[in-house]
Amino acid sequence: MPAGNDQLVSLEWQPLPGAGGAHIFPLIRKIDTISSNSYLIQTPDAIILIDPGGLPAQAEQLMQVVTECRAASERPFFILLTHAHIDHFIAIQNTPALAVAGAAVLMVQEEGAACLERGDAAMTQAAMFNTTIVPITAGFRLITPDRRENPKEPVELCFSNGALVTVTAFPAGETSINLDRETIVFGPDSPPLEVFHTPGHSRDSICIRMGELLFIGDLLFAANPGIAGLVGWSQEDLVCSLDGIGVLLDTGEISQLCPGHGRLIPVADAQKMLPLVKRDAATLADIAEFNPDRATEIATYAEDIMEQVNQLFTVMAGRLYYISYVLDELEESGTAAELGTLINGDDIDELLDAFRTFSEEHHMKKGVSVHLALKAGQVVGKLQRTFKTDELAHIIDPGIVRRTERLLADYITIFRGFTPPREVTVADLSSLIEALIEGLTIPPISSDAVFSSTDDEKAFARVLLASIGTRPLLEDVDVVIDNAPAALFVTIDRENFADLLTYILEELVGKGSSAIRIAVCGSGGDATVSISGTAPSSSQACESQKTDRFLTGLCERAGASLSANHDENTRITYTIQANRVV
Amino acid sequence: MEITTTSKDNATILSLNGRIDTATAPELEQAINKIIDGGQRKILLDFAGVTYISSGGLRVLLATAKKLKNPGDKFGICALSPEVMKILKLAGFTSIFSIYASEGEALAGW
Repeated sequence: MPAGNDQLVSLEWQPLPGAGGAHIFPLIRKIDTISSNSYLIQTPDAIILIDPGGLPAQAEQLMQVVTECRAASERPFFILLTHAHIDHFIAIQNTPALAVAGAAVLMVQEEGAACLERGDAAMTQAAMFNTTIVPITAGFRLITPDRRENPKEPVELCFSNGALVTVTAFPAGETSINLDRETIVFGPDSPPLEVFHTPGHSRDSICIRMGELLFIGDLLFAANPGIAGLVGWSQEDLVCSLDGIGVLLDTGEISQLCPGHGRLIPVADAQKMLPLVKRDAATLADIAEFNPDRATEIATYAEDIMEQVNQLFTVMAGRLYYISYVLDELEESGTAAELGTLINGDDIDELLDAFRTFSEEHHMKKGVSVHLALKAGQVVGKLQRTFKTDELAHIIDPGIVRRTERLLADYITIFRGFTPPREVTVADLSSLIEALIEGLTIPPISSDAVFSSTDDEKAFARVLLASIGTRPLLEDVDVVIDNAPAALFVTIDRENFADLLTYILEELVGKGSSAIRIAVCGSGGDATVSISGTAPSSSQACESQKTDRFLTGLCERAGASLSANHDENTRITYTIQANRVV
Repeated sequence: MEITTTSKDNATILSLNGRIDTATAPELEQAINKIIDGGQRKILLDFAGVTYISSGGLRVLLATAKKLKNPGDKFGICALSPEVMKILKLAGFTSIFSIYASEGEALAGW
């Protein structure tokens, strides 16, 4: 029975658990999208490199070890791919020692082999990472239909490196592990190597077992945002593969899983992770394909929303500092100190700075969009985890808290391949606008509420905090609304529309406009709202462009269209055109 | 961030150029504290060259306001870009600080 507690050590030869005669040399990397882990195995009959990775330096390092092994005992050398994504194999192309014809036999599942032979930039993700690939021939195709047609019949294969290998196919359905499988024997003194076809992350994904180890490639990451939906990804296949591997783990014959990225996973942990991955995968039925065009769209969206997220978090942290300042003045320093725990301004500043630096380098070095989208996903995820929305919404303007929450959630939704929820209903435009303006003009906490809470110390503290922390945006602004003469019904997503109008008003008022004019009118099938104010023109064209692009996107999600006009006399007019219901 | 310190009409003016973020906010705080520790109680921050302010920067501004609240003390900010003005306004800071269009306008009122 495998113990499962002994972690393998990176960059050292050690016995491969449960596989007498085999030794393993793992190369475990920190997780990134550039290169996978590599696992080098030697048996008395063969040397097998699982996933050479994406970095030439990594491949050179491994080849040095392979050369030493072959010097000690010359044996055929095989390179085995868990799947043909460039981060797992491109080092073959860029490393002379690996690229030499005949030096190694490349083993890939047959669909992956076909991709490599035609130099398929989409399936290998070379297009996503803007990498050029040249066609590569795989000498040993795995899980082939012809061998499946003759199940359980050992087939002897002879290779250019002199190896004589015996392969036996076991089609899915033969056992409760419902996966196509092949057993490969490299020689009389070698433990068998089992290959399971586990499509989902890619069509050619396989899991490889030797002894107690299971090499799983990217199976456990396949439902992650930015990975799910890659060209070749299949939700249905992934769920079946996870089920099959779950059954294999339940046999108790595996002690550790060797992933394509990151540390080894004890089987008990993997058994807990599999249902979670399956649950995530089950929710991804209709996600959009994550291809280079979509990565570019998401990266642009990421930059636009991060500009807004940055402003919103700075404003929220600023509000808390402001409340602390006022409380200090009122000699309530204890309460003021407690507020500091609601937003860790320094941590958030660091996260936002890190994204900005990454984004600047990305543009300078003309990086690939997928990296920027992934970085934004990381930052947004961390912000979501540190953001105590409920507590904050009791103290500062809940509208700001809610908008921030929605921005973060929308990014993750889009990043995962979905469309953010939208609820278009029929509404009277004038009534919507009036209600919103009223909400942004009247203080949410009345003086009566403050006075009536004085008997209860806790209630008073809460009301006091909220009355300091919520400042109506339009309290000192002269707002004129020119309404349409009659009700003007439009189809609109109310929440997105309310957010849009708030962002526009913040943009105008924040930049110094003391008077805002809102004109609502209808003409034919259109209803138009124009919001104008006077504010100095932006000194930062790039940020201004991002803001306009963000507002335009938000307006589209509200079910309308937006144009912004910044005239020479510092007058800014935003015009929203919605579909009128006549 | 570049900080240039000048004196005019009994006030010290710190002209700032660049971003006030995680890396530079402590530098600004040190520069301000040094001036206050030297006995100067009238400080004007010229933000004409400031392109961005983080929450760390806002905290430095509040800390300075706390230190300069005795009768006769003066603390103000001038020449804000629209972007920085927006942050200060939405955070509620415009009700704490004196904000001026220019250095001249600030000093004329002091």
